[in-house]
Amino acid sequence: MLNFDWLKDVSPTAAKEVFLTLFVLCGLLVVAIPRQYIYEGIASPRWWHNLKVWALGVLAIISTIYCIF
Amino acid sequence: MLSGIDYFVVIAYLAGIMVLGLYFAKFVRSADDFFLSGKTLPFWAVGMSIVATDISAMDFVGVSGQSYRFGMAVGNFDWLGSVPAMLLAAFIFIPYFWKAGLYTIPEYLGRRYNDYVRAVASLTWIIFFALDLGVLFWATAVMFEPLMGWPPWFSITATALVVGLYTFFGGLTAVVMTDVVQMIIMFVGGATVVVVGLYHAGGWGGLADKIAAMGEAYQNHFKVILPADTQTPFPWTGILFGLTLVMSNAYMIGNQAIVQRCLATKSVWHAKASMLCGAFFKMFIPMLVMFPGLIAVAAYPGMEDGDQAFPTLVKSLLPPGLRGLLFAGFLAGLMSTIDSILNSTATLWTKDVYERFLKKDASDRHYRIVGQLTTVVLLIFGVLTSPLSKSFPGIYVAIQTFLSFFQGPVFSILLLGMFWPRATQWGGLMGLVGGICTSVSLYIFKGRLFTIEEPFLYISWWSFVAGVLLNVGTSLVTRRHPEARLSGLVCRLPRDLKGSCEVPAC
Repeated sequence: MLNFDWLKDVSPTAAKEVFLTLFVLCGLLVVAIPRQYIYEGIASPRWWHNLKVWALGVLAIISTIYCIF
Repeated sequence: MLSGIDYFVVIAYLAGIMVLGLYFAKFVRSADDFFLSGKTLPFWAVGMSIVATDISAMDFVGVSGQSYRFGMAVGNFDWLGSVPAMLLAAFIFIPYFWKAGLYTIPEYLGRRYNDYVRAVASLTWIIFFALDLGVLFWATAVMFEPLMGWPPWFSITATALVVGLYTFFGGLTAVVMTDVVQMIIMFVGGATVVVVGLYHAGGWGGLADKIAAMGEAYQNHFKVILPADTQTPFPWTGILFGLTLVMSNAYMIGNQAIVQRCLATKSVWHAKASMLCGAFFKMFIPMLVMFPGLIAVAAYPGMEDGDQAFPTLVKSLLPPGLRGLLFAGFLAGLMSTIDSILNSTATLWTKDVYERFLKKDASDRHYRIVGQLTTVVLLIFGVLTSPLSKSFPGIYVAIQTFLSFFQGPVFSILLLGMFWPRATQWGGLMGLVGGICTSVSLYIFKGRLFTIEEPFLYISWWSFVAGVLLNVGTSLVTRRHPEARLSGLVCRLPRDLKGSCEVPAC
């Protein structure tokens, strides 16, 4: 059990889908964050202050890497 | 040996960094300035500083060596081992710590649980950082000796003097701002090796073709996800449970050297943005430290020691001038880690031990001086203990193993402390100490319990599970804290309580 033997039959392809699902889940949680929380601490918000865009950009890059490799 | 122009590049780098660091001394007037830069830092500087602190020269050699042996799976440590954890830190933990006005992570644990938990967590980090300093200083000497011809004592003293001066006078601001420059030099130096190496390998396509033609043993070199029953240290189950769910979160949320600079940002938006900025730069790290290993597989197959991949590549590919630049990049990696350790340890000692247990209610100036003196004492300790690395070659691995014992348990008490109001002070202490004991036991009996050679990912997962179970079990049979005491420390508490959590996600 300590070695997760019960998961040894899961193929690397299926495992990759688990990680991609994790990225999608992270993305959905980021999208769900309220707007005022994102801009908190900024006096006059501009579009580039939107941290959701930053987070989704980072997730898009890492998802692409895991899709390719 | 380096050539004349390489010497010039390295000495110009050392002098430039010292002058830059000392420039920021004029901004240090109080303890707050010394430990938290007076909360004035911008997100981009902190984001770049996080990356510079995280990556040391040993990563260039060690990660290249592992990618030479195991392929791209080693990149998981900077991709999966950073991005999800940094998002969690950016949107939940960091803004919460920032609003609470904390200096250290053990300070949060002390407020949430009790002083025993704070002391154990703080002393653990202090011991780890202090021992790590000696190893890092010795690594500097090892780098200088063959290339510059400097004896170890001279390189160690020179590095200690440069780093010590600007860290002593400039505090966290000097550390972060020099880290920015050091990260840029690291990226330029690392990218030079990759670009020149790929050119010689016939581009990315040529590299992939060469490695694919090398047969069965190299079939997984371009795969990031390896099967659960792989004999390498990176089975996907370990990457998911040990790295992604525990170790990366413990590192990004519980590591004083990382979190402290986020607490020094000028607003809560900058605190969140700094982590996201760091996550962006972190994604490029595998390309700098992992690709040289892959290039070496194609160029120099059959090397017995994978750690020779990077030095061999540098020696054979880079012309004079560029070698100096890469060496400056190596130094930048080491110095950015050393200065962060010095400042973070001084903060832990002054705030968690000295101010809490030895001398309360002293003046602000007094605590700043204590912080500066701690920096000097640590520096001397690091220099004096550095030759130990020569006598005990396994000391680096031993120190890293020591840290790994705490990662799972510390994250378990941070997580439950933040999200479960029922967690009590004794639950926290039991979770921390019991989790550490679990790690040590699993490590001692790893040969019997685990099927892979280095099961540190599994050990961190199971010690995390033990920490959670022990915390929950003990908390349920001990007296719960009144809600007023937990105000501002636990999510989901009523917002009308003074200082309660304002994070919407809670």
